[in-house]
Amino acid sequence: MIRRSLTSSFFVPSAIAVAWLTMPLAFGQAPSAVAAKTAPAPKPWTLPHLPDGHPDFEGVWTNASVTPLERPKELGAKEFYTPEEAAEHDKHELEDRTSWDRLGNQATVHYDMSQFGLDVSKVKVALSRRTSLIIGPDGRVPPLTPEARQRLADRAAKQRGHEFDSYENRPLQERCIVWANEGPPMLPAAYNSNLQIVQGDGYVGILQEIIHDARMIPTDGRPHLDSGIRQWMGDSRGHWEGDTLVVDTTNFTSRTAFRGSTETLHVVERFTRVSDDTILYEFTVDDPATWTRPWTAQLPLVKVDAPIFEYACHEGNLGMPNTLSGARAADKAAAEKAAQKDAK
Amino acid sequence: MTFKTSGIRIGLVAQCGWSRRIAIACAALAAIAPAISQPAAQTPAYRAPRTSDGKPNLNGIWQVLNTANWDIQGHAAAPGPMLPLGAIGAVPPGLSVVEGGEIPYLPAAAAKKKENFANRLTLDPEVKCYLPGVPRATYMPYPFQIVQSQKRIMISYQYASATRIINMENPKKAPIDSWMGWSNGHWEGDTLVVDVTGLNDETWFDRAGDFHSDALHVVERYTPRSPDSMRYEATIEDPKVFSRPWKMSMLLYRHAEDNAQLLEFKCVEFVEELMYGHLRKKSSQ
Amino acid sequence: MRSRIRIQLAIAAGAMALFWTASPASAHHAFAAEFDINRPIKLRGTVTKMDWINPHSWIHIDVKGPDGNVTNWMIEGGSPNVLLRLGFSKDALPAGSEIVMEGYQAKDGSNRGVGRVLTFADGRKLFLGSSAPGANGEPDK
Repeated sequence: MIRRSLTSSFFVPSAIAVAWLTMPLAFGQAPSAVAAKTAPAPKPWTLPHLPDGHPDFEGVWTNASVTPLERPKELGAKEFYTPEEAAEHDKHELEDRTSWDRLGNQATVHYDMSQFGLDVSKVKVALSRRTSLIIGPDGRVPPLTPEARQRLADRAAKQRGHEFDSYENRPLQERCIVWANEGPPMLPAAYNSNLQIVQGDGYVGILQEIIHDARMIPTDGRPHLDSGIRQWMGDSRGHWEGDTLVVDTTNFTSRTAFRGSTETLHVVERFTRVSDDTILYEFTVDDPATWTRPWTAQLPLVKVDAPIFEYACHEGNLGMPNTLSGARAADKAAAEKAAQKDAK
Repeated sequence: MTFKTSGIRIGLVAQCGWSRRIAIACAALAAIAPAISQPAAQTPAYRAPRTSDGKPNLNGIWQVLNTANWDIQGHAAAPGPMLPLGAIGAVPPGLSVVEGGEIPYLPAAAAKKKENFANRLTLDPEVKCYLPGVPRATYMPYPFQIVQSQKRIMISYQYASATRIINMENPKKAPIDSWMGWSNGHWEGDTLVVDVTGLNDETWFDRAGDFHSDALHVVERYTPRSPDSMRYEATIEDPKVFSRPWKMSMLLYRHAEDNAQLLEFKCVEFVEELMYGHLRKKSSQ
Repeated sequence: MRSRIRIQLAIAAGAMALFWTASPASAHHAFAAEFDINRPIKLRGTVTKMDWINPHSWIHIDVKGPDGNVTNWMIEGGSPNVLLRLGFSKDALPAGSEIVMEGYQAKDGSNRGVGRVLTFADGRKLFLGSSAPGANGEPDK
């Protein structure tokens, strides 16, 4: 039903309005390797620079994606699709599946995501021929260290049965503290997957639509904050390596928990503009207390011709009191039921 | 020019103190002093450093040195709304940042302001870590950072990760009301002028209950006046609440210390117990 | 009360409950905690206002029961930002519009629900299918 309404709507062309990345790009080669799907031979392209001499990354970009972070096991060491396979994969993801399908549960029972324009098929998507965002023959997050396995198991055991006891038991994004994909590293969100870059004197500002967090990244070579200051989004320092912006982030809190990480999480991001419409974004994460080795992912950021809109998450978070009062109503019903049983 | 003018006048006044006999002559001199300095007033006394595209360079981390967030009008020191905090929670005194001193409330709005003040502990959006709106974000007791480029200016406020993007290209209309509003900017000489619309009616001007409606229209003016300070003016127009437009004016100072940076102040987690604590499961208390 | 305002209360298939075992990594919150899969509702009513807020929009509707009593309901929808990006504005759903909401009631039994599918009274889907003239922001004059 959703499929029918989608194909009959005007949205379909926008789903195809996408950027195509070819394989050589993924190896960090010449930007001319990037071509629009229907465009003729790629035109020579020169990297735009700002008056201060640095490459121009300014604008609104999306990292909306239909490429999974981890490679499906059946693909083995296959790092790239052929153009034909990629076209088929993207068509299937955008036309045959909804966001709920991609999320793996909840199906169509919640509000209809496509009706609200939230489904990724309704927005510009940064397509890639990669079979997974994680690069390399493995294409998967490396195994957890034994220490990390124990830590996560303990945490899960402690939480079990108490998921709705209070706000403290709810995920950080449900509490509107930080969104899971905000990072760093910045990963695609299910919707509103947009960010804006502004470059000032010695600073690069990156504003992510969800949830209106601006990263202010100094590029003046200053040292990191002292280790006593820990932040949800860490402490970022940038520098230029040729035309690539490299951002090094440390000083995370132990509660940031990027896929189970600890406060020794270290993230290095690399931004390289490869065409008018595309920035290639690559990140490497390392946390010896969590993974057996560092791992790296690569995804395109594609230019969007629209402003960022305010996403005031906490201010409109009726979901939190509703969720907790729903849980308290369930507690009460269960207590009454138990009392009736006792009375019998 | 302001410096120069006042410098002359202060000099004259000081000399006048020397002798009562020349007091009359002195008064006359003092009276003509402004007239003498008029031509100087037209020459800009301070020209801000430029960005590489030739605009005044406002990049940096800024903050007020006033107590306007407690009350934009002049106020003496007073106990705060939380008595257990003692002197920590007391209201520090401050001069008015409202030009003329008075806020021209319509009668019904003046009554609502009083009610807001009486209930400020529960009604002030700052208590709940809500986004502060404009202009309040500017004079909260937290720094903010300007990242300025040709086509847009990003302002990131430490408080609650509030952020604004000021569009410096063709002005765009606000699509919807929001907490931080919709900002279109342009340059008038060395002054950055920002027109802010699309502000919702949920924010206040200060902790004293000064408020506005969703008809609020703010015009901000940022004017550099020395390497490390600039003047901030905000003209407030809201026909639902005020009988005429009025203006705030104050100074912003640069955080000039080495390696100054905005640190996170994500206050949501500090207000959750206040907002959701009553919904905690009984046995887990 | 629920029967008075003619909510169609259906018995959900047991299998459907399986959907609600975990919250997805990227939706804002867990449906199961807030809404009750066992309380499907279908409301026809008149829009009194729409809150264009994040993380979820809320549509307020007046629902008239057979006895003439009117009850105000709050219906949760998706984040409004994408609608804005597609050129919708706050006039897209004016007060007085008649809509039909199919969804699920809040778990605490209050007059709140999630709108799985929202349609105008004539059957057109709300929001869906409108053109997007001002996706890049409307020019100011």
